[in-house]
Amino acid sequence: MRRLLLSTTAAGLLAMAGASSALACDPDYTGITLTATTQTGPYIASALQLAAKGWSEKTCGKVNVVEFPWSELYPKIVTSLTSGEDTFDVIAFAPAWAPDFTDYLSEMPKAMQSGPDWEDIAPVYREQLMVWNGKVLSQTMDGDAHTYTYRIDLFEKPENQTAFKAKYGYDLAPPKTWKQYLDIAEFFQQPANGLWGTAEAFRRGGQQFWFLFSHVAGYTSHPDNPGAMFFDPDTMDAQVNNPGWVRGLEEYIKASKLAPPNALNFSFGEVNAAFAGGQVAESIGWGDTGVIGADPKQSKVAGNVGSASLPGSDEIWNYKTKKWDKFDHVIQTSFMAFGGWQAAVPASSKNQDAAWDYIKFLTSPAVSGQAAITGGTGVNPYRISHTTNADLWSKIFSPREAKEYLGAQKDAVTAKNTALDMRLPGYFSYTEILEIELSKALAGEVTPQQALDTVAQGWNKLTDDFGRDKQLAAYRSSMGLPAK
Amino acid sequence: MLRQRCGMTRNDPIKHFFIWPALLIVLVISIFPLIYSLTTSFMSLRLVPPIPPRFVGFGNYVELLQNPRFWHVAWTTTIISFISVALQYVIGFSVALALNRNVPGEGLFRVSFLLPMLVAPVAVALIARQILNPTMGPLNELMTFFGFPNLPFLTQTRWAIGAIISVEVWQWTPFVMLMLLAGLQTLPDDVYEAAALENASSWQQFWGITFPMMLPISVAVVFIRLIESYKIMDTVFVMTGGGPGISTETLTLFAYQEGFKKFNLGYTSALSFLFLIVITVIGLVYLAILKPYLEKHK
Amino acid sequence: MSVRDLKGNGRWWALAGCLLWLAFTFFPLYWVAITSFKSPLGVVGGPTYLPFIDFEPTLTAWRELLSGQRGQFYNTFMASTIVGLSASVIATAVGSMAAYALVRFTFEVRLLTGVIFVVVAFGGYLLGRHIAGYGQAISLIYAFVAALALAIGSSRIRLPGPILGNNDIVFWFVSQRMFPPIVAAFALFLMYTEMGKLGFKLVDTYIGLTFAYVAFSLPIVIWLMRDFFAALPIEVEEAAMVDNVPSWRIFFGIVVPMSKPGLIATFMITLAFVWNEFLFALFLTNSRWQTLPILVAGQNSQRGDEWWSISAAALVAIIPMVIMAGILSRMMRSGLLLGAIK
Repeated sequence: MRRLLLSTTAAGLLAMAGASSALACDPDYTGITLTATTQTGPYIASALQLAAKGWSEKTCGKVNVVEFPWSELYPKIVTSLTSGEDTFDVIAFAPAWAPDFTDYLSEMPKAMQSGPDWEDIAPVYREQLMVWNGKVLSQTMDGDAHTYTYRIDLFEKPENQTAFKAKYGYDLAPPKTWKQYLDIAEFFQQPANGLWGTAEAFRRGGQQFWFLFSHVAGYTSHPDNPGAMFFDPDTMDAQVNNPGWVRGLEEYIKASKLAPPNALNFSFGEVNAAFAGGQVAESIGWGDTGVIGADPKQSKVAGNVGSASLPGSDEIWNYKTKKWDKFDHVIQTSFMAFGGWQAAVPASSKNQDAAWDYIKFLTSPAVSGQAAITGGTGVNPYRISHTTNADLWSKIFSPREAKEYLGAQKDAVTAKNTALDMRLPGYFSYTEILEIELSKALAGEVTPQQALDTVAQGWNKLTDDFGRDKQLAAYRSSMGLPAK
Repeated sequence: MLRQRCGMTRNDPIKHFFIWPALLIVLVISIFPLIYSLTTSFMSLRLVPPIPPRFVGFGNYVELLQNPRFWHVAWTTTIISFISVALQYVIGFSVALALNRNVPGEGLFRVSFLLPMLVAPVAVALIARQILNPTMGPLNELMTFFGFPNLPFLTQTRWAIGAIISVEVWQWTPFVMLMLLAGLQTLPDDVYEAAALENASSWQQFWGITFPMMLPISVAVVFIRLIESYKIMDTVFVMTGGGPGISTETLTLFAYQEGFKKFNLGYTSALSFLFLIVITVIGLVYLAILKPYLEKHK
Repeated sequence: MSVRDLKGNGRWWALAGCLLWLAFTFFPLYWVAITSFKSPLGVVGGPTYLPFIDFEPTLTAWRELLSGQRGQFYNTFMASTIVGLSASVIATAVGSMAAYALVRFTFEVRLLTGVIFVVVAFGGYLLGRHIAGYGQAISLIYAFVAALALAIGSSRIRLPGPILGNNDIVFWFVSQRMFPPIVAAFALFLMYTEMGKLGFKLVDTYIGLTFAYVAFSLPIVIWLMRDFFAALPIEVEEAAMVDNVPSWRIFFGIVVPMSKPGLIATFMITLAFVWNEFLFALFLTNSRWQTLPILVAGQNSQRGDEWWSISAAALVAIIPMVIMAGILSRMMRSGLLLGAIK
């Protein structure tokens, strides 16, 4: 029934989009076939395909979506861009790769950079993630920030509430701090009942480091020092082994022990499966967890999916004074993990106008709003209108679930203290070192401090190899800081 | 194998017609990759972030040889290859013998035993991950029954290596079996008839007739498997991602990370050539060790 | 009862062993088959084994796969079939001819000829590229032709130095498979792109992909077929030679039929390799000739394992191979007649 409902609204929407130009093609792209590429569907690819259908009805052009496995998408795009062939007209990719692509991308037409549709995009995307060296080179087509998900039924069970209060001395509720987050995980760690505390991704090559970053962001994103989480934005010295990081890593490792036994092999997919399968009481991750958890077809906990913002901290490491700064309230830090899929047009494309027009259609409030609530498109809210239109969401969530989910999503993209994800040229060289040391630390082969010291050393060496000034300029640009 | 068949070879201009198509095809395809990778192996060349290529001589090679990670992955690859190929050969040969001797139900076995080889390695590894899942997989259920719940099949080095080897054996034993079976079927019956007349036991027949006669094809099959095993990548990539740490990382996976994630092409090319040298040395030693036996049983 | 049949207890031991191996081989495949009919909920809830009893089968995964929601299914399937079959047939045919030649004829190549080829190809390429300023493709073509011509020319005159025989040539073929495919795949992509700039499109074309697969299958075909040909009794061929039957008729009329089991086994293996090959397919194809392994690998998405869809995609990739295996292994059995030829 729900599916039927969705498909009829989708069809209606497409018809609407087509209605204004039932006969004429507006703008007329007859005879043009765009080749768009992204990862194998349904995530993201189905959003592209859905939009392709609507777009070709509207403009008479055609879009051919080519899909490659997630892990191979980056090399595929790099090779096609560097070879200079006009293989793809539209590429949909991870924002972290953008610095490696910027030289090969065309700029977004100025006309697209104004008007209500433009203003509707959450500022963090519009002003920071889509911009590189003052130019808008890509369009966000998916919003991605980490949020917190919990089991309403477990949290509101009276026995649990009393027992929790007795043990920890405060009420059981969505955690405000990372300390509370771990307390809750510890409390619900009951393997005998098939229930574990939390689920995060810990697998090498399985999104693990974004989960670490979320822990770390709470301790290192000082409101007075924006953009200093990964590197010192003045000297480009790696910050990755400062006490804030060590504390984040220690807690990340602790979380891995308060998780199902195979958690070390979890990627985000397993996190969702664990949450939807009722194995864990809480988890952090992207918005998909909530959508999957609320879907009775995929989940055992539908109807009990609570959402909240990521935990924060009232102590934040100040890299300038090299001290922990104490705050009188908990600072809520939103971490823009991954940062949301971007769509861009390579400069080698021979159909740039049509390609940008297609992207415009794809990310228009109507089309993208529909995609955001269609399970399986992988599109999470990135426009203000996505999070305010509660009607859309009532189709997949119960009213309470919808309220909490939208609140958490909205807070995540509009939070005062936002930590941006790392984006640097040679991204994979940096993350590889991190991933290796991280999995050693998780396996207990090295201490958190040792692991992060090795990472810092490796990062500094890479920065020197790639050219410190160039990397510094890129880093400042990626963090939305003015050029020095 | 390395037999010189004196008196069996003949000379005829038609031989050129037989060999040139293959020679040309292989030359055309392989010459550019060879030139490209050999020249880049002496350069520092990265596609991302773009850095102008610069000649570094043997720099990449020296750096690799000094990198403990290189030695570690080489050792891991060697362990995985040798153990899994040995198991594949023993199991494959036994099964081929049984099938060749018309074991009941042989027709069914023959087809079904081939199947694993025909599944894409990526898919095999994905399937293995389901089965080895320590909470939701069937193997966990079996082990729980025996009192060992939630074993870390893929997250602890020893178990992970064992799991990778089992998957390799599962997938590639059919290759060995198929080739050996084809070889067994071309063996002439009369030798066995003669042996049977002399009351030789099956054990004696095997070591006296079958094994020696099968030696050339065995050597060829094991060699191919060894080469291909050294290139193992998809399986490891999907099953463990090389982790924990780098403890299950193999040579090709290492090359993949350097080549297609970091696009550090100079370094990767040097790695490829070191790999080629390692394999060639192993191959030549292997063939040299076996040569006397092959000659003896000619 | 033939000498080949097992007698007494051995028979039952062999059967027990085969059954054990069958269980080991079959369980994962059975698991895939049932998983492809499970719902997401049925998978996250823990292992279940029997459809209708343990869990309620659904067709969701299949519907999604066949409707193209998880990649261009029909396209990749057709591309895989066409490229797989043609590349294996060509490779087996061309490779067998070469293997036969290497078994029955003597080849002698001076080491120096090989050196000349390599040096001229390298030098010519570098010269054309960096000094004469030609494009990559042009300098490569010139260098290749020059190197080949010089090498053939030089083999006419008596060069000093060691002589390479048949075994060395075979080893050279096999060594082509030893080179790790990472850089090779990328270099081949570069070469294909350059050819494309000359107006001869190879990336994402049938010819380009098939040609690459033939080239990479040939070493295996040659290596394996050589041993099968060598095991054939030479007397038949000698008898034919006495009757002045030309070599090509000896090969096609006598040798090929006699080595049918080996040919079929080799064809099967080549097909399996091509069918499952991933890296070259990834780099040399885009939309038109993308193959199945890429679609299967794509099911291992960024958002984690969706086991039901992985299973369905893996099964689709197996089924045609199962049918092939069934047909071919039947044909292989007729090889039993071989002993009678002698």
